[in-house]
This record gives sequence, structure tokens and C-alpha cells, in this order.
Amino acid sequence: MADETIYQYLLREGVSRRQFLKICGALAATLGISEASPLLAAGLARPTRPTTRLVAEALASKPRVPVMWLNFQDCTGCTEALTRSLSPTLTDLVLNKITIDYHETLSAASGVQADENKRMMMETYAGQYLLVVEGSIPTGANGNYCTIGGRTAVDLLQEAAAGAAAVIATGNCAAFGGIPMAQPNPTGAVPAYQLITDKPVAHIPGCPAIPEAFTGTLVNFLVFGKLPELDDLNRPITFYGTTVHDRCLRRPFYEAGKFANSFDDEGARKGWCLYKLGCKGPTTYNACAGIKWGGGLSFPIQSGHPCLGCSEPNFWDNGGFYQGQSAPISRPTITVAGAALAAGAVIGVANAAANRLQKRHADADEEITESLSG
Amino acid sequence: MGSTDATLAFARGPLFYTALLIFIAGMAYRLVSVLLLGWKRDRVPNKGSKLRGVAVTYAKGLLIFPFIPWVKKTFRGNQTTYLAGGMFHFGLFVVIFLGTAHMLVWKSLLGFGWPTLALPIVDFLSAAAIVAMIALFVNRLANPVLRLISGPSEWLNLLIVFLPMVTGYGLTHHRLLGIVALPYENLYLMHMMSINLMLIWIPFSRISHFMFYFFSRTYHGAQAGKRAVMP
Repeated sequence: MADETIYQYLLREGVSRRQFLKICGALAATLGISEASPLLAAGLARPTRPTTRLVAEALASKPRVPVMWLNFQDCTGCTEALTRSLSPTLTDLVLNKITIDYHETLSAASGVQADENKRMMMETYAGQYLLVVEGSIPTGANGNYCTIGGRTAVDLLQEAAAGAAAVIATGNCAAFGGIPMAQPNPTGAVPAYQLITDKPVAHIPGCPAIPEAFTGTLVNFLVFGKLPELDDLNRPITFYGTTVHDRCLRRPFYEAGKFANSFDDEGARKGWCLYKLGCKGPTTYNACAGIKWGGGLSFPIQSGHPCLGCSEPNFWDNGGFYQGQSAPISRPTITVAGAALAAGAVIGVANAAANRLQKRHADADEEITESLSG
Repeated sequence: MGSTDATLAFARGPLFYTALLIFIAGMAYRLVSVLLLGWKRDRVPNKGSKLRGVAVTYAKGLLIFPFIPWVKKTFRGNQTTYLAGGMFHFGLFVVIFLGTAHMLVWKSLLGFGWPTLALPIVDFLSAAAIVAMIALFVNRLANPVLRLISGPSEWLNLLIVFLPMVTGYGLTHHRLLGIVALPYENLYLMHMMSINLMLIWIPFSRISHFMFYFFSRTYHGAQAGKRAVMP
């Protein structure tokens, strides 16, 4: 099966050539690989290699890339989002046709059979398969907070990562630790990259990750044989290059100083900026405002809720969701502030007392000197 | 996770917390120290009203003189200091209290908020305040008398107030000094770090005049009112 190209495989699966090219076009668009220079856009130059052809050539010449999907401390929300995303051809293609060989939630097999499948896959495609991790990995209690088939998540991850070509950590939990790693982190959860140090790890953070961002990254690997260009937090720049604020449809209201002050006031009804209601858009790098959700239907801010910053590291501990984005993370209570005030005042009183004592001594000395000389 | 995010969380969390407490304790210490320096016993009967003196000094100093500065000798003598200083203080006041992001900080600390100004207005005034600060710096360098009476603490005051303003302005534009494009987090970190430094520095420097200004104005206003010589 490894010798069969993706195109051959799709033909066998009943996909026509026309459908195949359409899929390639869609994939190229999702990837955001556009060679359109201003000259190309204006029709003044002929594209040397159209992006659709680039994808088509890759899919027609390359074998399938097997994918192993491991779920650890997660809610399977990223898988849910992916299977429910409204780009059915694409998702269907990626999930069922092109790639996924092992997925703990979606696989039909279970128990020993599923384990056996996984073992076979790891042997057959050693060094070639793509490992997708969903959920954080607990390290507390010798890793026993999360076990599958009697083996710990740490063990399973390290075994799977050893033979992987590359790793994609999808969702905030796998990428940055997410909710399981939030204080007080009872299970000692860590993100995937802390346990995989010898392989490239791409992060698709989000709660859940945007399905198109995930498929886009996967397809990039299919087409180019490597992970896309990543930023300093290992996120694909194509999807995480700008903040939600930068692309937000309510941005003009932010600039104009028109804000909703509560969820049911005039401003909220008029669709004004949600910054004062705690929107984390300005500090959140994600494609929500551009790609949106449900096939481009809407995204949280459009629906009237401030951005929670769910694709950022530590988003659960970064201050309250409805607290201003600029607000400090920890604030002294009135008691602590009062104690500081009192402490300062006491030092001030002590200082003044010391000064007076010194003055009295000085005065006394002066008197003695005067009486001696007089 | 990038080290910037961890450091930023620290700067917005424990470090800010500590800096704020040092600021509160430090200001209380300064105020109590000054109050306990000793008061002269008031042996003379009041000729006029102390309260009236206080009211007049604030009305003149804050509401009237800023708009007709030429009547003041301070203005005629040091026009740069007066104008740039005025622009700086006005801009700073607007940015700190009427900028939306800053109002949200106050709201999180005090529990209540207030209406704010549109971003372009705040942005313009913060730029004006930065320009004013540069003018004040150049003035301090160029004026021989000013340079003579400027010690390290004066230069440090300028720097420590300048840093939060420049990084804050950069923060809204995602560019430091309007030129160097930097990620939001980096600028945010620089802003918070400089704010924390300033909070700790204020009580032990002359920036504490934000409190003592009102202290001395009230005292002198009352003294003038008592003698029935309006300030």
C-alpha cells in the first residue's frame, strides 16, 4: 500500500479526476500557498506553476502519509470540531481517505485489535508516519493518571514519537498544556513538546483547534513532505500570523472607542467592540476572525462573546475571562493593600521618632557645649 | 511555551503585585514622615478663611492659570518648561485615566469603571506627551542652569517615566518607536516591566510630587487664606 500514490488510491476509492482537481484547488486555498505576486494578480504575468497543479502533482506522485492520532488528557473536542467542520470534502478526504490509520476515538476496532493495528502500523511505516497528539500528558503519580491498555500516556507518546516523521500537537492541551495544566495542575500535566525533544512538533492551539488550521498543516506535510513555516511558539504562521483583533469585524468600533459595557446594553445590541467585556483578541494569535467557524459562518466575537484567548499559552490562568485584557493577573486584596499602607505608616512613624530622638540629643549636646563655653 | 509568555505572566502577576504593594507602603511612609516633621503651633487668630484659600489656590492653579499662562512669572521665565510640562502632564492624565486599556486596569483594582475616550484621541495625546518629554529632556541638557542642578536622580526620573510611555505607545501600534515591528507580547512585557520599575521608584523619587503637589498646595492655600492674602 505504501507504493500506491494518493491519486491512485483516490481513483480506486471512486473519486473522479475532475473531483480530484477540485479537491486539490481547495487544499491549495486552505494551505494559503499562493504565489500571486502583484503582477500575477493583475494578470500581467503568467503563473509558472499554478498552486492547484503543485498540489495535484504532489498528490499524484506521493504515497499516502499514514497518521496516528493519540488522545490523552483531552475532551476530544478537537476531533469533534474536525469531524463536524463544514468543509466536508476536505475533512472527509483527510480523515478517511488520505491519512488517518489509527485514531483512538474514531477507530472501529477496539481493545487488543486496535492495539495490534497500531503496532503493525508503527512497524510498517517506521520513520514515515505523522503523529497527532490531542490532550496533555500527565507526569504525576508516575504517569498513572492517564493509561490506555494498561500503559501510561508518557510511555505511549514516547513510543509513538520515536518512529514518527513529525508531530502535530492539536488543541491547547497538547500544545501548551491547556485546562489540565491550569493551576493547581493536579496530574502534573505537560504539553507534548516537553516530552518529544528530538522531533519537529507543530502546534495547532485552540480550544478546540480550528479544523481548517489542522487540515491545512496536515496537507502541507502531504504536499511538501515537511511541516509548514512555524513561529517561535511552533505555530504555523499561515494560521497564527495575526491576532484575532487584527482581523476582527468589530475592530472599527475599538478604534472609535465604541464599546459594549454589558452583554445586554445598547452597545452590545449594536455590535460594538467587546474589549471592555474582557475580549482577549488583541493578545490572541489565531485565524478565528478570518477563517471563522462552521464553514465561515461566524466566530465567538461575531456571535457577541469576547475572545477568551483559548489558543494562547496559560489561557486558563491568564486573569478572568471577563476581566479586561490589560488587567493585572494578580491583584492585592483590600486587606493586603491596607496592611502595606499600615506597614509604610509604621515605618514612617518609627523614622519620625528616631529623628526626634536624634534632635533632642543634638539639642542637649548644644546646651552642654554652651554651658561649658559660657 | 516561549519564555516571553512566562516572563509576561510573571510581570503581570507576582511582580506587579509586589511592585504595587511597595508603591503603597512607600507612599504611606513618605506621607507619614512628612506629616510628623512637626507643625508650628497656630498662635495667630485667622484673618480670613482657610477653606477659601484652599479653594482659590486650586481653582487658579488647575482651572485658570493653565489657560492664561502669560500672567505667571513661571511661564514668562521658562516657556519651554511650562508648555512642554503642561502638555506632558495633560497627556499623561488622559492616557492613564481615559485610555480604555488603563481604565480596565483601574476597574480591576477598584471594582468600578468609567467612560473612556476614543483611541485616536488618546493616541494623539500620548504622542504629544512623549514629544513633550523629549523637549523637556533636550531643555534640561541645553539649559546650563538646569544642567547644573540636575543630578543622577533627575535623569533617572526622566528615563523611568519615559520608558512606560514609549513602550505603551508602541504597544498600541505593535511597533516600538513606531518603527521596529515587534510581537505584542514583547512590547507588553517591556511595558509591564517598566511600569513595575516605575511603581517601585516613585515613592523614593520626586515623582512622588503627584501626591505632595496636592499636599503642599492645600497647606499653602490654607496659610494664605488664613492671612486673607489670596494666592
